[in-house]
Amino acid sequence: MYFFAYALLLVAQFCSLACAGLAIVQIRQRQIQGASLAEKGHWAVTACLLLASALLLHALFWKDYRLDYVASYTDNILDVFYRLTAFWAGQPGSMLFWALAVSAMGTIFACTRSCRELQPETRLWFWAFFHIVMAFFALILTVWSNPFAMTLPAPADGRGLNPLLQNPGMIIHPPLLFLGYGGFTVPSCLALAIACSSQGALEKPWHRASRTFCLTAWTFLTAGILLGCWWAYMELGWGGYWGWDPVENASLIPWLVATATFHTLAMERRRGLLARTNVFLISLTTIAGFFATYLVRSGVIDSVHAFGQSPVGAPLLVFICAMLLLSAGIAFQSPRRGRALTNPASREGLLVLTVCTLLALAAIILLATMWPVVSRLWTQAPQGLDAKFYNRVCLPLGTLVALALALCPLLSWKGAFDARRGLPVLLLAALAAGLCAFLGYARPHPLAATFAASAAIGGLALFMLLKLLGRPSSDFSLGALGCHLGLALFVLGVAFSGPYKNEADLSFVQGEPQTLGGYELVLKDLQQGRQPGYEFLLAEIEVMKDGRAVGILRPEKRAYDKFGGMFFTEVDVLPSLGEELYASLSGMDGRGRAVAKVSVEPLVNWLWIGGTLMSLMPLLALRRRKTKAEAQ
Amino acid sequence: MAQKKNTSIYLAAALLFAGGLAWLLFSGLSENSVYFLNVAEAKAQDPAKLASARLFGTVAPHGLARPDGAGDLRFLLEDKDDKAVTVAVSYRGTVPDTFKEGAEVIVEGGMEKDGSFSAKTLMTKCPSKYQKQNRQKL
Repeated sequence: MYFFAYALLLVAQFCSLACAGLAIVQIRQRQIQGASLAEKGHWAVTACLLLASALLLHALFWKDYRLDYVASYTDNILDVFYRLTAFWAGQPGSMLFWALAVSAMGTIFACTRSCRELQPETRLWFWAFFHIVMAFFALILTVWSNPFAMTLPAPADGRGLNPLLQNPGMIIHPPLLFLGYGGFTVPSCLALAIACSSQGALEKPWHRASRTFCLTAWTFLTAGILLGCWWAYMELGWGGYWGWDPVENASLIPWLVATATFHTLAMERRRGLLARTNVFLISLTTIAGFFATYLVRSGVIDSVHAFGQSPVGAPLLVFICAMLLLSAGIAFQSPRRGRALTNPASREGLLVLTVCTLLALAAIILLATMWPVVSRLWTQAPQGLDAKFYNRVCLPLGTLVALALALCPLLSWKGAFDARRGLPVLLLAALAAGLCAFLGYARPHPLAATFAASAAIGGLALFMLLKLLGRPSSDFSLGALGCHLGLALFVLGVAFSGPYKNEADLSFVQGEPQTLGGYELVLKDLQQGRQPGYEFLLAEIEVMKDGRAVGILRPEKRAYDKFGGMFFTEVDVLPSLGEELYASLSGMDGRGRAVAKVSVEPLVNWLWIGGTLMSLMPLLALRRRKTKAEAQ
Repeated sequence: MAQKKNTSIYLAAALLFAGGLAWLLFSGLSENSVYFLNVAEAKAQDPAKLASARLFGTVAPHGLARPDGAGDLRFLLEDKDDKAVTVAVSYRGTVPDTFKEGAEVIVEGGMEKDGSFSAKTLMTKCPSKYQKQNRQKL
């Protein structure tokens, strides 16, 4: 049966290859009239991958340990939910999931009106590019990363899933990221197709035809990254939401490129600018997604996330380089359209600044992440960069983006400043920043970010309110306003919870108070006990401020029977929109003292609120809205 | 004419941006770079050079001393490939949940003159596969 499943993958690969080849031959021979087989091939590919995935799920459900994959990631005691979601726990399974998702998106696109309205030649080009990508991923599945590899005789039990991953949040996090990485494939293939096709001038712009795909992919990516932060903060008890780890950086690079692309797209849509740049940038987004997969799966960089050395790295890198050259060549060979940039002190100029900063951030993060590999070129002792480097270089650039975000809504495309609304907003923001400085939050750089975030929050909230009241205010859509408001709240959260976080490892003796950041902490009780399924150590820490009780922190350490030898930290927080108290219990030391990592995190919840807004608001923009230019 | 003027403004802005960026990058690279080494690579270096480094390795099965109150956590970090090459590590602070003999860890800190390593942070790798051997050790 698994031989059949493997055969399905082979069929998918040959189908994609054949379709890509056929499409290119037909374009060259100008046989572009009528329906082509190349346009129907995606059905076969999707069906094969779907059936193969069903077989893998079947094996996971029935605990068929003959498959290496099933034996590596599940065992007899694993719940059925986690057994099935082990589909994307390991590399071969996640590659299959990736291929299936991208292929399904292609099939969905084929059923849309946008696809049927394409000129025949453009459609052939689209399928040629799309099937090249599919063929490559099918090749990875059949050659380097086969989920249906078998070992006989089958072991009696599997090796089980890492208990840290046995958490519903952690189960949704990887597929969201994969959908985000893969989701830009359809838009970028379409952009390349329109740029190549001789009938390209007749098409409506690719970003309108694939708008839904762009927006959903970005939403998935944003939500996936945010969920990872939340998991690190609440579940792992690392005490932070972002550690500049290579795997975290890998997911941020496509996000930054995608976000930059959306802004150059806005300029193309509204002002007819940068059409060729956009074709390249959307392809770069997809390639950055491939690169993220490469970074995570190849083992080229040592990271906290160990995925181990795997043979997928080298072919992925070759494919990435080839696609990069191809898309750059196609994008910049196409004829120049549109006009040159005008006044730099306008919304146009600010957007250019934003886009450059976002791309610079992506490039810096890429370079810094790869630095241990790059520095090997000239030294025996490779050097890497730690969190200090990233904070030092990336945070000023982030502040620059925030400042642009604050000013952008107040400026018109041509550079007119909306003084009636802008001046009060800027004044209020200056007051807010002054108040922060007065309260002791006076470091210059976070202060600048605070000013920018307050101005952006004020301006965007005002425009949203006017929009909801039905008053004509700005040409931003509600979804865009909400998403940027989320970003401004996010910036505010980072500007405070990053530099002003107060953290300490404290050893508690019962009854003796400790102090941290103006809070008084007293260990009231330390219990050891059993609950069904696990043993626990629970500390009850009473928190007081100025003699007033704030609340009781109950961090826990658990050892589950199923996963003996591994401890699990149950973080506890005293949630607050101001200063949140966070405690993660490390255990008991030799003298019976409870050791806990306690921190005061100012405004950290605004980061989660802002992030959630950012992940949800773009969905509002899914409803198509005609701009003036398009309506004419 | 207007077109030309704009180009020069954009050019100036681009130069300013690139200059700022280059300065940020250069200062960051010169002040915040840390050696990223395997244990064997670290052993080959002069300890005086490694005042700030990040080491990758595996916790050796012997020589692990848990803190008993005031003391530090001490363990031997062995090279991933060559088990014979080890570095003594001392660390004070929160020990991650998954830390144990045989765990792959990353330590950040500096090399002392006597060739031991004093770590400021200790991270364990987050494996996607769960090793059965570890579970049976209990």
